[in-house]
Amino acid sequence: MVELALPKNSQVGEGKIWPKPEGASNTREFKVYRWSPDDDANPQVDTYSVDLDDCGPMVLDALIKIKNEIDPTLTFRRSCREGICGSCAMNIDGTNTLACTRGIDEVDGDVRIYPLPHMPVVKDLVPDLSQFYAQHRSIEPWLKTETPEPRTEWKQSHQDREKLDGLYECILCACCSTSCPSYWWNGDRYLGPAILLQAYRWLIDSRDEATGERLDNLEDPFRLYRCHTIMNCSKACPKSLNPAKAIAEIKKMMVERRV
Amino acid sequence: MANSPMKERPLSPHLSIYKPMLTMMMSIVHRITGAGLYFGMALFVWWLFAAAHSQGYFDFVQGFIGSWFGRLVLLGFTWALIHHALGGLRHLLWDTGRGFDLVKIEWLARANIAASVALTLLIWIAAYVAR
Amino acid sequence: MSMRTPLGKVRGLGSAKSGTEHFWHQRMTAVANIPLLIFLVYFCVSMVGATRAEMADAIANPLVALMLVFTIISVTWHMRLGMQVIIEDYVHGEGSKLICLLGNTFFSLAVALTGLFAVLKISFGG
Repeated sequence: MVELALPKNSQVGEGKIWPKPEGASNTREFKVYRWSPDDDANPQVDTYSVDLDDCGPMVLDALIKIKNEIDPTLTFRRSCREGICGSCAMNIDGTNTLACTRGIDEVDGDVRIYPLPHMPVVKDLVPDLSQFYAQHRSIEPWLKTETPEPRTEWKQSHQDREKLDGLYECILCACCSTSCPSYWWNGDRYLGPAILLQAYRWLIDSRDEATGERLDNLEDPFRLYRCHTIMNCSKACPKSLNPAKAIAEIKKMMVERRV
Repeated sequence: MANSPMKERPLSPHLSIYKPMLTMMMSIVHRITGAGLYFGMALFVWWLFAAAHSQGYFDFVQGFIGSWFGRLVLLGFTWALIHHALGGLRHLLWDTGRGFDLVKIEWLARANIAASVALTLLIWIAAYVAR
Repeated sequence: MSMRTPLGKVRGLGSAKSGTEHFWHQRMTAVANIPLLIFLVYFCVSMVGATRAEMADAIANPLVALMLVFTIISVTWHMRLGMQVIIEDYVHGEGSKLICLLGNTFFSLAVALTGLFAVLKISFGG
């Protein structure tokens, strides 16, 4: 049976309440999920108070400030701080998004920060994305051709190039896949919205010659057809892409080739 | 460090922390009404079978349907049927590749609920009038 | 603790090479169900408070009987496919999954055949 409740070792308890900064008038509470493999304990939620007058506007700024000034053990991924690398993907105030593009003012009340849902936790806010990356590799995300390579480039019309808009911009942050209940219950066999969006990116690339093979690999009750158009993915995407629509287009292609 | 066994990693929380959204709720209600109709269909067929069986058995089943509990089940079945059918229309629209923009999606969900309640009421009023 | 690589696990047993048929049949029966459901609601509303004789009269009409037959076939087919997806989503143990899937098929068949038998019996004047 699918486990709707968290396993025993994952149940979250009350954590530490860190001291408020002195003399700060404009503070906000950040409730952050913590777990360390070095301690023999269940995960917990720590509460930090951050002086917003002395902090950048984004949730990532607050996390960095907490790590610099309050608790250096707080662990999270981050890099570009401008919404293009996908490293800081996490669950903020109930929805998956990038910490560097979510303004603190967009959240009412305490800012609750959890790792991406239903993922194995390496430490604190860092999920284990190995399965996600393996799923990307499994759809063979490169151009596959048999025709001898042209002397210059593979030609593509403007119209065909436009079909890639809304697909190539994916930063593989995993916000969408980890927001999908189908991916929660069947992530080992269902590819998930991010990977299916990428699969569609290669399916409609006019330069690719292996469309049939790609569709054959998706012809599976789990890999593609666990999508029930729940729509959490498109609502979560921090780059405003639409994985749900891409998946619907794949399903149309699957029907088209057998009619 | 090298000798410590690899600790089982905890699973990050999901249902307990994810923001509930209308579209997500509509999806699970579509599934629940579907499952309800699955068993409701058995009841419908039971009614038909009773009519084919004998006067006595038919009277027994009609009596059950006429009871307050039976009528409650029938009301629930009616609403589940209409709601699931309208939700099905939304799914069919999505299958054509339309209706995926985030604003339209919310509107469609609300229209689904409003229409299912309205149609259920209409059907029941029609049934009482017809009697 | 499996030592299999993530790619090996994801590739699993390979693609089943089927899945679109289920999807297509589900959509097909869904579309068929739209007019049939309108008929079903009309039929049930007109049978409110009906006696067994009145019901037998209605079903004796070949068109009504035929519509009921179409409805029963389309609905039970659609419901079997739908429940199959629910079971695949939530039941993961191989043994329990197989039992549930079998149960689903048998239940749907039983409902279909009982309904068809009842309609035909009444329609033929039994």
